Amino acid sequence: MRSIGDSTAEIDGRALAPRPHETILVGAARLGIEIPIVCKLPGQPPDGGCRVCLVELEGSPRPVAACHTALAAGMRVRTTSPALERLRAAVRALALPPPGHAPRNASHPYLRFTRDLCITCRRCLHTCEDIQGANVYAVVGRGPETRLAFGVDDRFETSPCTSCGACVEVCPTGALTDLDREVPAAEETRVTRSTCGYCGVGCQVEVLADARTVRAIRGAPRAAVNRGHLCAKGRYAHGWRESAERLTRPLVREGDRFVPISWPDAIALAARRLEEIHARHGPDALGALTSSRSTNEAAYLLQKLFRSRFGTNNVDCCARLCHASTARALSEVLGVGAATACYDDVEAARLIALVGANPSEAHPVLGARIEQARRRGARLLVIDPRRIELAGSADVFVQLRPGANVAVLDAIAALLIERGAIDHEYVAERTIGLESLAAALARPALERASEVSGVSVEVLRRAAELVAACGPTLFVSGLGTSELTQGTASVRALANLALLTGSVGRPGAGLLPLRGQNNVQGNADMGGAPDSFPGYQPLDSVETRARIGALWGALPPPTRGKTIPELFAAARGGSLRALWIQGEDPAQSDPDQTRVTEALAKLEFLVVQELFPSETQRFAHLVLPAASWLEQDGTFTNAERRIQRVRAAATPPGEARADWQVIRDVARALGCDWDAASPDRIMDEIARVAPRMFGGVSYARLGDDGLQWPCPSAEHPGSRRLHEHGFESGRARLTHTAFEASPESGVPGFPYQLITGRVLHHYNVGTMTRRTPSRALAPCDRLEIHPSDAAREGVSEDAEVELESRWGRCRARAELSERVAPGTLFLSFHFPETHANRVTGPAHDPASQCPEYKLTAVRIRP
Amino acid sequence: MTTAQERARDSFFADRHEDPRALRVCEGTSCALAGAAQLRQKLSAEGPCRRIDCAGFCDRSPVALEPDGRAVGLRRAHGAIERAPLEPLSAIRTRSRVAIVTERIARGEFCDLARAREAGVWHGFERALRGAPEAVLRALEASGERGRGGGAFPTGAKWRAAARSAGSDKYAIANGDEGDPGSFIDRALLEADPHAVLEGLALCGFALGARHGIVYIRSEYPRAAARVERAIAEARAAGLLGRGILGTGFDFDVRVARGEGSYVCGEETALLEALEGRRGEVRLRPPYPSERGLFGRPTVVNNVETLVNAAWIVRMGADAYRALGTSESHGTKALCLNAGFASPGIVEVEFGTPLAEVIAAASAPAQRLRAVLLGGPMGAILAPSEWDVPICWEALRARGIALGHGGIVAVPESADLRALVLGWLGFMARESCGKCVPCRNGSGRALELARAGARGELLELLDVISAASLCGFGQDMPKPIRRLVESFGALDR
Repeated sequence: MRSIGDSTAEIDGRALAPRPHETILVGAARLGIEIPIVCKLPGQPPDGGCRVCLVELEGSPRPVAACHTALAAGMRVRTTSPALERLRAAVRALALPPPGHAPRNASHPYLRFTRDLCITCRRCLHTCEDIQGANVYAVVGRGPETRLAFGVDDRFETSPCTSCGACVEVCPTGALTDLDREVPAAEETRVTRSTCGYCGVGCQVEVLADARTVRAIRGAPRAAVNRGHLCAKGRYAHGWRESAERLTRPLVREGDRFVPISWPDAIALAARRLEEIHARHGPDALGALTSSRSTNEAAYLLQKLFRSRFGTNNVDCCARLCHASTARALSEVLGVGAATACYDDVEAARLIALVGANPSEAHPVLGARIEQARRRGARLLVIDPRRIELAGSADVFVQLRPGANVAVLDAIAALLIERGAIDHEYVAERTIGLESLAAALARPALERASEVSGVSVEVLRRAAELVAACGPTLFVSGLGTSELTQGTASVRALANLALLTGSVGRPGAGLLPLRGQNNVQGNADMGGAPDSFPGYQPLDSVETRARIGALWGALPPPTRGKTIPELFAAARGGSLRALWIQGEDPAQSDPDQTRVTEALAKLEFLVVQELFPSETQRFAHLVLPAASWLEQDGTFTNAERRIQRVRAAATPPGEARADWQVIRDVARALGCDWDAASPDRIMDEIARVAPRMFGGVSYARLGDDGLQWPCPSAEHPGSRRLHEHGFESGRARLTHTAFEASPESGVPGFPYQLITGRVLHHYNVGTMTRRTPSRALAPCDRLEIHPSDAAREGVSEDAEVELESRWGRCRARAELSERVAPGTLFLSFHFPETHANRVTGPAHDPASQCPEYKLTAVRIRP
Repeated sequence: MTTAQERARDSFFADRHEDPRALRVCEGTSCALAGAAQLRQKLSAEGPCRRIDCAGFCDRSPVALEPDGRAVGLRRAHGAIERAPLEPLSAIRTRSRVAIVTERIARGEFCDLARAREAGVWHGFERALRGAPEAVLRALEASGERGRGGGAFPTGAKWRAAARSAGSDKYAIANGDEGDPGSFIDRALLEADPHAVLEGLALCGFALGARHGIVYIRSEYPRAAARVERAIAEARAAGLLGRGILGTGFDFDVRVARGEGSYVCGEETALLEALEGRRGEVRLRPPYPSERGLFGRPTVVNNVETLVNAAWIVRMGADAYRALGTSESHGTKALCLNAGFASPGIVEVEFGTPLAEVIAAASAPAQRLRAVLLGGPMGAILAPSEWDVPICWEALRARGIALGHGGIVAVPESADLRALVLGWLGFMARESCGKCVPCRNGSGRALELARAGARGELLELLDVISAASLCGFGQDMPKPIRRLVESFGALDR
């Protein structure tokens, strides 16, 4: 017998030096020896249940499991022998339970379970726990009666399942499968890597499609953003693409109807009508809404068309309606209006403070990452008017009244300053204004903050103690901070906390506002705003104007154009006559719907680029069928400033075309000498237009995981975080805006405070998700009402309720829920027939013009 | 906890889904040999009954537990079945030169704190507290004591490993889940000498620097749980448990955790899972509990008898302990003899005593036994020719015999060995935790094969289960079954 060294072990006659905590399985893999195993998941701890990875260990009375036996020096292991093969075969044979002819469970719109194929290997169970954190699965019974269970009665619908489908990915026997896998793969199915077109997380997907049909979508393994994971929408809600309702031909209004026209005619018509109105009424009679759903390239071209060809800055995008307050406040305080942190800070954080964001539903993959970080020891502070899913696992949950962010955040800041629990060094080095902030915060007493926010002094103290104990914090915020009359003030208060705790620019800390839409970040980056050129460059900068002027040939005036609310007001007043709306449905999504539709109806010429007929499209004069994210090339930019590639996986239906192509063709019809031959050439132009932010961005460099801006040069690796080495403006200013009650609070006769928002299975106006089987999981909008309020109002579960505000009324089905506090209501806005935005009003943040979707005074009637 | 997780736990623990009003009829090995199955059938006519696999009164088989937890002996009388209450102790004998485990219980019950202290309990702890934890660790290491729950792991080494990690957020746990049918010494100690158990546990806590103590007591021992709870309250009132014990800076408090009906929870990591509110499934090792145990904290789990030995060692010294037994097996062992012997009960012997001597002393002159079962269902079936084996770790290990908890069940000439095999396989299928494939599905398949008399296939399958299972339950259960089939012709027609 050969002797083996003191520090080596031997597997199948090959020596290796065991590494700390290494198992035989891992050691063997290092040697390229693959040991068969069923239950072990890559990257997860061993389960030990399948007993297929048994190996022979010299000196051991019986085989040992390679997956959970530590490899130690001096060990001699054999991974294969006739006896082992016999044993493994016998164990495998035992794994399958005798067929009980259990019926296949197909009640879920996507997921399928066949009991007779389940070997109870628990791969699904571990995946559900360790990736999604939903804990859907469990194992019931003992001995041969042991089996997989879920929900109350082994139906997904009665379980906490989020339909993310991660379990299906790992099932080795097909016991768990899904709708997409039931369709046998066609021979010509291709796999295309792309970026998900739903929320702003920016998950990387692999799209399985043949030329006409998208068969399935799966998470791209090892992707920086999502590491192979997806949510229910990203994975399954793609059926809309094949919907018969898709717009497939250009349509022109003739009286009350739309009739198809050819593309050349449509392009010519658009060019002619815009030119006419421009000639007759001047540049500012025209306006455009660039789309947060479309690509950077399309958004860039649309704003370029209106700025350079028509000379107007009347360009805005739906960021106005979501994170305008965040962008405004962060740009004021820090110099850049975007996330300072990145997603990897979630795993690095000691404390995650979730403020006005519900990522479990609106940004599910990031929500799962936060839950996993918490399970691995991160602390969690949740500040939200609703008891959202993550509130259940929070160390401190601050359930405040809608609109009371400033009072709560200031109270925490005041307590930190009072106790000296701030990062003195950081504050001294990197900020100004501590004294005046401290003086301003000293005035409102804690009791006053408690009174206006409805949060007890005790809870405010506990929140402050948690922040004090953890120091640098990752502040993950959402539209609950932004879509309020005090939106900008809320984000300023949040930025104060981030600065006082020394969080900005530190790993595992900082500000991470979650962007709602796949490309709302990029859309704003591309100049989809009336006050800046692409890259947030000011309109009046001489240097910028010279550079862009040289590239574009013509420039708009240096004065800002109109925001969305101003554009609609101008339309109602008759001064705005033509509007180009790219992939947006303000008639459903904008507040104070009655007045929005009034504005749309008055327009002389409305162009709409859309996937489907929509509320807004009904007012259009020209409807241009759009290619979806699954059908075009380009880029999206996610909430951590990551620019990622979008690639066409299938051809657009009918004559539908990519937005960028249509805009380019209209521009050419208007005599513009644009290159814009392809999305990558457009990106090259963007890099020249905004070199400090995008100078180093090119398709050649984007690769699989893209680049995070700023990326000023071809050598620059991109920026995971902002402000790591200080603020460009020198020091950040701690500013204070006193709490002010919203005009929607304390309105006599309207006792309830209504919040609007999203639910897991739908996306915004539901254009896509309503046309998928997801509809079965959430068939209508629901009004969440506290049981005590429901009892007082005589409202029962599922009953239709009328909601009325000073601005309008709508109807929705009630869901009795303790997620909302008494006095607070929550309504989603996914279904046009709900008309949720007839109820929301004109109140908006004066600084950002962001509407107050998150607070409307209402009354209800059964 | 989600609904499915609740279902998982509730379906795992018998008490959570079985009828709480049922009479729990013991069908452990001893009671089964005494005809418990037929008795249960008769008793079911009178009211709800359920089977359990050992009530810990094997010296008085057949027995049952009333719904209120009282243990009763079952006796056929005039066509009816009488139920007579059972006292904690019956015959306790000390055959070793020095009494350790039976030091007090041979003389009766010592539940009362004053009486226990008079008899020497807590003295070692009081003295140890005046010294350093290191002295306790050294004493245990020097004594060579090994765990009595079946694992025979050196107690001192176990304590040392957990003592290494910093902080006092650690756990010392007494394992009172004496599930092995045939053994009842732990029940006797918990019921009649609870302070000795607590003293051993407190010493363990002191040696570890642990703040938390738990006595985990199986569902079938409700009287033991009540008595230990009372003893804890008394000890706390006397300043022996709680904060700043006896004026020192040592904080240590103990609570009782009650099992809910699962055999596998006697395995220490399954026990930890149960304490955390989950199914009692075994954990993979490493990490060992001494590193990451209950709620991820360093933990030591010791069997009840082990702790009573430990208290004695600290009080009397490691040398006194090492003076007993053999070169590798120090001290004594309490053996439990079932009702099949002429003189059943508990007998404490020095390690090294031949099994034959113990059996002879307990048997009537004319008594003929086919075999004995040593060490419960995961132990060994021994024919008379094998009884020469001395009771000590080294000799037993050399012959591949597991001592288990030290129960000895007489298998009379008249015993129905096929029923015994089916009984054990049924027990295995009922109690397998469901974690690993060979034990989970193999147990049920083996039962089918045994019922069908498929001897060859059964033997092959038993080998697979034994070779491939994750924990000792699946690895060791097949051995005595195999022996009964192979050497005793249990399935031969």
